Amino acid sequence: MTPVPDSIVFDNVSKFYGEVLGVNRVTLTIPPGITSLVGPNGSGKTTLMNLMTGLVQPSRGDIRIRGVKPSEPEKLFRFLGYATQFDSFPKGATGFGFVYGSLRLLGGGHADAEKLAWQAIEQVNLVEAAKRKIAGYSKGMRQRIRLAQAIAHDPQVLVLDEPLNGLDPLVRAETIAMFRMFANQGRHVIVSSHILHEVDMISDQVILLSNGYVVAEGQIRGVRSEIEEHPMQVLIRCSRPSEVARRFFEHEHVVEVKLHSDRGGLLVKTRDADRFYRLLNQVAMEGVDIDTVAPADDDVNSVYTYLIGAEEATK
Amino acid sequence: MNQLPWRLWAAQVAAVMRLELKKSFFARRGLWIYILAAMPVVLFTAHTISERADVEAVRARASITPQQREEIREGMSRDEVLAKLGKPFSSETRRRRNNVRETLWYSDGQAQFQVILRDDKVVQTGVNQGGSLGEDWQVFAAVYQYFFLRFAIFFGCVGVFMNLFRGEMLDKSLHFYLLAPIRREVLVVAKYLSGLVATTVIFTASVALQLTAVFALYDSNTVDQFLKAAGGWQQVWAYLGITPLACLGYGSVFLFAGLLFKNPLIPASLMLMWEGVNWFLPALLKKFSVIFYLQSLCPVPANPMGDIAAPLRLLASTAAPTPAPLAILGLLGLAAALLALSAMRARKLEINYSTE
Repeated sequence: MTPVPDSIVFDNVSKFYGEVLGVNRVTLTIPPGITSLVGPNGSGKTTLMNLMTGLVQPSRGDIRIRGVKPSEPEKLFRFLGYATQFDSFPKGATGFGFVYGSLRLLGGGHADAEKLAWQAIEQVNLVEAAKRKIAGYSKGMRQRIRLAQAIAHDPQVLVLDEPLNGLDPLVRAETIAMFRMFANQGRHVIVSSHILHEVDMISDQVILLSNGYVVAEGQIRGVRSEIEEHPMQVLIRCSRPSEVARRFFEHEHVVEVKLHSDRGGLLVKTRDADRFYRLLNQVAMEGVDIDTVAPADDDVNSVYTYLIGAEEATK
Repeated sequence: MNQLPWRLWAAQVAAVMRLELKKSFFARRGLWIYILAAMPVVLFTAHTISERADVEAVRARASITPQQREEIREGMSRDEVLAKLGKPFSSETRRRRNNVRETLWYSDGQAQFQVILRDDKVVQTGVNQGGSLGEDWQVFAAVYQYFFLRFAIFFGCVGVFMNLFRGEMLDKSLHFYLLAPIRREVLVVAKYLSGLVATTVIFTASVALQLTAVFALYDSNTVDQFLKAAGGWQQVWAYLGITPLACLGYGSVFLFAGLLFKNPLIPASLMLMWEGVNWFLPALLKKFSVIFYLQSLCPVPANPMGDIAAPLRLLASTAAPTPAPLAILGLLGLAAALLALSAMRARKLEINYSTE
């Protein structure tokens, strides 16, 4: 395996729990930015994250996180923070105690740990509740304190299992903004989700998983274009939509055109995105006023449905 | 060696211990360990209280002198006894087919004097001086070896050390440590030290309290003489020293077992059986047990043969006790080897809460 220092690399990784498949033959290179692991329950998202962080060990293959093996926690967790989905905490811990305790495990002193703990708690807006026991926290607060623990030591790689679960809209927006800020600083933010529109909103790239297999990876639009058996859908708002529809029908890559009920636009299905956009330019140059061109199905939801079927996608 | 980050490891061990000691000392589910440690303390304290009450009673009931006691001979009549000693503070009469047996109790302030009469004639006399420190010391030695070492410390260590990893796996909170930048080996050592400190404090405090209860029955002169002239101090320090060694030995066994087995009952039962049959094992096999070394260190040798049924005595074998330095080194070596194995096991440890 060629080491890629700034990337997260999975090289032919499989994980079996006895005879049960966790993930199989995963080969990935994840660059910095926000990467979403998408898939229904049991598709292997958490296994992939646990493999990345050494909580489980691969049955086969090799993993490197920015050049470090997950079996070296003493090096890995200096630059990686993981907010797991496990909803359990050390008994009797307060929010502050939880974050502070994990910072002390870095080996630093009391003052540093205290300062960093308060900073992280402030970032997730939990200052008022910090001295209360976690056992009395709401689901959203427990999610936030896990996030605070994961970011407290300012990691370069942030791994977050379903991080937006249980958060109210305002906190959700703030959290997404924080992920974006992290990504813009050249860090890795790996999030898992089964809520597709959420992923679509925040991700730079996605990894689609189904039954332990990676079914697609990359930027969401790139993934979409690889699915040739499903024609790409494009929404166009324009003048003279009937005339435009007729022009499109002259080309064999256009398989379907539907006029909008308000006669202000049309929906085109094409098998060749490149030729379609060239044709659209030509139509525009011929004097048709085009207000909007928007892909109608290059979101994660559509891609996921195309790749693994509607039944799996709604699990 | 100089390049190893000892200072960092020490700070991490301290951080883990801070969290673990709180759990070990104050966990509600650890309450039974305190009860186990307190049982012999309660036993010896109850004995002391009861014996003191008896001594007080003997003193309060004093009605004769030791000289009067000496004057009573076998064959004397009941009336002669009553004429010499007066009315007893207590008496008991038992009637059988052909005779009447009567017991009279007197006190000279130091001891109870018993006169036994059959058909109004003295047939036996006896003096009950109460317990002695020597006897109580033998009782303490037996309780220490047969209950405290083999049962209380054994199960206390099962409760504390098995839970260091297994308990956290069941509570689904072990990932807290596994997601920290700490070597698994350092984590194992830190958790082991936490368990060792907790069990040592609990059980050594228990031994200290037991000894206090034993000595509390006797006046300061008797205790002083025992401690200084009869080598008592050495024995006291030996018991206080063996207790941490027992925690160290059993702790390492159960730490490793906690990393190896999901169900603590299996290793605990196997170990209990192995330690229990130690008396019947061939001399060589005896040496592969913790109790053998601990017993070698005990200052008052316990002889279980008297308590074992005659046919079983034939099966028992004896092995010369290991000299103290060797026994201590043996226990330290065992603990080190098991810690190394635990560390190797911990490196392979995975979080899979759903299967726990």
